[in-house]
Amino acid sequence: MFSFIQRMRSFQRNFSVSPSFPLLPLQLPSPMETHVWFVLPDEFKSVSLLNQYMELLSPCEKENVLTMRGDQLQKRALLSRTLVRTTIARYQINNHVVDPRSLKFKKNVHGKPELVWESDDGQCPSPLHFNISHTSSLIACGVTVNSPIGIDVEEKQRKIKNDILAFARRLFSVYEVEHLSAISDSEVQRQEFVKLWILKEAYVKALGRGFSAAPFKTFTIRMKDATNSGASEVVVESSDHPVSLTNNWQFGLFELASSHYAAVCMERDKTSDVAMRVPMRLTVRKTIPFVEDICISGTDAVVPIAGLIKQV
Amino acid sequence: MAARGALLKYLRVKVQAMPTTRNPNNNGLFGLSFNSIRRFSEEVRGTFLDKSEVTDRVVNVVKNFQKVDPSKGYDWKLKVKWVTPNAHFQNDLGLDSLDSVEIVMALEEEFQFEIPDNEADKINSISLAIDFISSHPQAK
Repeated sequence: MFSFIQRMRSFQRNFSVSPSFPLLPLQLPSPMETHVWFVLPDEFKSVSLLNQYMELLSPCEKENVLTMRGDQLQKRALLSRTLVRTTIARYQINNHVVDPRSLKFKKNVHGKPELVWESDDGQCPSPLHFNISHTSSLIACGVTVNSPIGIDVEEKQRKIKNDILAFARRLFSVYEVEHLSAISDSEVQRQEFVKLWILKEAYVKALGRGFSAAPFKTFTIRMKDATNSGASEVVVESSDHPVSLTNNWQFGLFELASSHYAAVCMERDKTSDVAMRVPMRLTVRKTIPFVEDICISGTDAVVPIAGLIKQV
Repeated sequence: MAARGALLKYLRVKVQAMPTTRNPNNNGLFGLSFNSIRRFSEEVRGTFLDKSEVTDRVVNVVKNFQKVDPSKGYDWKLKVKWVTPNAHFQNDLGLDSLDSVEIVMALEEEFQFEIPDNEADKINSISLAIDFISSHPQAK
């Protein structure tokens, strides 16, 4: 597919390909708010649209896409970068219209991708934080303001090939293994395993210090029993870090598009009282960049499972 | 570092009493060290697996892994074809971090030894798996 696209590109330069549907500007997420955007790779079949996306990428990103083996993996890599660039470009800051091509990215010292923010007085940390996760059938990007974020998605039907408890004993904490062992139904056990896995991944990605900084065995994710409001809270406890640090992180776990589990982890708003349990505000949109955006928060395509979530 | 320690442990030469036959052609000291060197390298050769055997077995483990779950959204026959000694888990085979852990567990079962997590983290391609296992004396 892409060798065809590379031949097409020489023709395309003669026609100025403008987006049929420009990225509409949006308000930034407020504190304790996450905007999740996702794409479903199967919905992208138009070669000319994919070609348009390719033109948004930096030379380095284009090269990375082309080193992937086969059409499917290349498409996935292309859509991942496209989703990140077009999503961030929607958020106008200081009323500037942002061209997705102009965004610059870097990796922090531990390898976590970040937005390079060029302000008038030289470079300072970007107020916009983002994180991305993908499966073969869904790619999601979470965006926050002034709060590190980690997101992880997984297919609900994800099969574990090894024995689940053997897997858990290897990687999860003692408490988590006990929690899984207590589940007698093997299907429920598998589902709980997948949910724990993505919560743990989301936490490590939010921390942004690499997996070696927080090996899975060193922290426990617990879902506290449901309160009167019906929502069970998700907490993280770490044998390595004091409670004062782990209290900083808030989780949301939900079903997405009927096909996936999604976990979001973000840092609590430091200005709010930690004792007050403020829900995570969540907006979820499905997108085909330059073609359509559909807000699905509050529909049955987003089903909260754990954590205090308020869909907006 | 763990590999080095394990290696040194296996390099230690066993001390054996030499028979006291007097052979005028055999300088006692020279004969002793010559025989020791022979035994020494046999011992070392017997401990490490042959790299081409490791390659075949690792490739088979990953191929079988790919076959079990054809629901990854594209033709599994292609995926199996791409399992070569040079394949990268992520870029060639589309595997994610969960898959990588599963593959390491499958390799442990195949080769009957434990791979510590800090080493397992680094194995993100077939060639790295092959190199690690070939240089590990406990692999069977």
